[in-house]
Amino acid sequence: MIPVSATTPATAPSGGANPGGSPLGPPSVPPAIVPLTFLVAAAIGLVGFGVVLAFAADGLVVDPRGQAALAAVHLGLLAFLSTAVLGALHQFAPVVGVRPLRSIAVGRVTPFVFFAGAVALTTGFAHGPEWLVPAGGAVAFTGIALAAWNLSQPLSSRGKGTSILGLRLSVSFLIATAAFGVVYAFDRHTGWFPLLSNRVLAHAHLGLLGWLGLTYVAVAEKLWPMFLLAHRPKAQAGDWAVRLLATGTALLVPGLLFGVEPLAIAGGIVAITGLGAHLVSLAGVIRHRRRRLELLHAFVLASSVALVAAVALGVAAGLADVGSDTRARLAAGEVAALFGWITLAVIGHAHKIVPFIAWSALRERGFTNAPGGGPLLFADLFDGRVARATFVGACAAVVLVVTGILAASSTTVLAAGCAFATVGVLVLANLGLGPRRLTRAVATGRASPVGPGPTSNGTRLTEELA
Amino acid sequence: MTDTNAIEQAREALRQVYDPELGLDIVALGLVYGLSVEDGRLVIEMTLTTPGCPVSENLPQQAVEAVSAAVAPFGMPAELRVVWDPPWTPERMDDHAAGTLGFGRT
Repeated sequence: MIPVSATTPATAPSGGANPGGSPLGPPSVPPAIVPLTFLVAAAIGLVGFGVVLAFAADGLVVDPRGQAALAAVHLGLLAFLSTAVLGALHQFAPVVGVRPLRSIAVGRVTPFVFFAGAVALTTGFAHGPEWLVPAGGAVAFTGIALAAWNLSQPLSSRGKGTSILGLRLSVSFLIATAAFGVVYAFDRHTGWFPLLSNRVLAHAHLGLLGWLGLTYVAVAEKLWPMFLLAHRPKAQAGDWAVRLLATGTALLVPGLLFGVEPLAIAGGIVAITGLGAHLVSLAGVIRHRRRRLELLHAFVLASSVALVAAVALGVAAGLADVGSDTRARLAAGEVAALFGWITLAVIGHAHKIVPFIAWSALRERGFTNAPGGGPLLFADLFDGRVARATFVGACAAVVLVVTGILAASSTTVLAAGCAFATVGVLVLANLGLGPRRLTRAVATGRASPVGPGPTSNGTRLTEELA
Repeated sequence: MTDTNAIEQAREALRQVYDPELGLDIVALGLVYGLSVEDGRLVIEMTLTTPGCPVSENLPQQAVEAVSAAVAPFGMPAELRVVWDPPWTPERMDDHAAGTLGFGRT
């Protein structure tokens, strides 16, 4: 037994001394297969979303609440974004909460259940048969219930800061969003719960702000300082962002749902203030960074631009003196921009998280060297040029879908769908095949799995990043 | 003299332990705060760039394994102490590492 100890004096930085578990504490990180299954499914979901969006373009610009639009939107939000975010949480929550998932076996099954439900639901919307909508909704809800149960153990950790608090709330919003959707799925032909515009917006904001947005805002408070080597022991903006966004969503959604305008406006103001605090936090992290900006930060900054656009469109949709058609288009544009906000953030962070998970898994299997002979680095597990192309494609897709909806241009929305599908293929190929290339190189004798490291510090990575 | 040699071997071994994200070895990054021999054990004091560092689980383990192998001929076990005080700062990096991370010094 090799002795390893952690010395954590009173002056230790906040955030915990042992976020990763062993060797400084009990292991809490799930096997790589758990988060990676979610993330692979999410990339497939992104491809599917792009294809469905392209086919739904004509109908979507005519009626953003039509069946084709419902199918595309739910595929994007469930099969892609929610699947990816749930996968990230299955990795992140146990690490930050320093408590394992309740069940690894359930963690392995959950992505299949949730993804199958999401696909069935959207297929039901697009083509029928009608029974597929409630059936798919029920299966997807089961997946969410499994995930929430599994995550409840790490998320019940006390004293783990803003991120865990935010995730507790965001998972609660996820359950509420799903329950809302299931109620509607079962009521589609009964009609006691007609899907009026304000109810559609309540459902959309519950999911986009309460579930996906709050999760990102909460997780970013851990990930950004880590990836930028920024130390901000007295920073408060992130804490405010989590609390205000959660409070704002909790006011905005019932305001929209029950048509109580003052409540919706108050909730909107609080939520926007929270999102502003989130951007202030980002600016603080960038100002205190200890390394140069890189591709992830391009994704994060572009994602922030989409957020600002979403806020502007949301305010215009809520307050501008325009006709109902224009208002509906502005609201749909806001939803698309919020989707773009989370999409760019998720794809950017996937280029950090997936290589890290794969690197850890490869090292456990004895792969410590890159094919070139140096030590195995994250940068060996994906191609930087493809990642940059992914960034360009993802930004283009978001711009196209927002402008296409605002301009009621089906051609532009179709182009957005093609761009999203292409981005999904790029992500899947780049992040999925990188580790496979390494293991194949070893298997064919073109590389050694273990060996001495290089003698010139970091030169290779510098070249690759350049 | 043996202690000095063992410490030097340990330092060289730690130069082969790389932060997988930054692509720099932990000595160049200034993460190794001290190497000493205490009661016949080679003691490594090291830190991490941030408490939430994604490799907080792996790097200390890699470091202690590398040093254990390096000082085994001296008959010394290795002990690693992860310390957070003083916190790591970019000033601890050597010039090459600082330049690589965009903190070139004049």
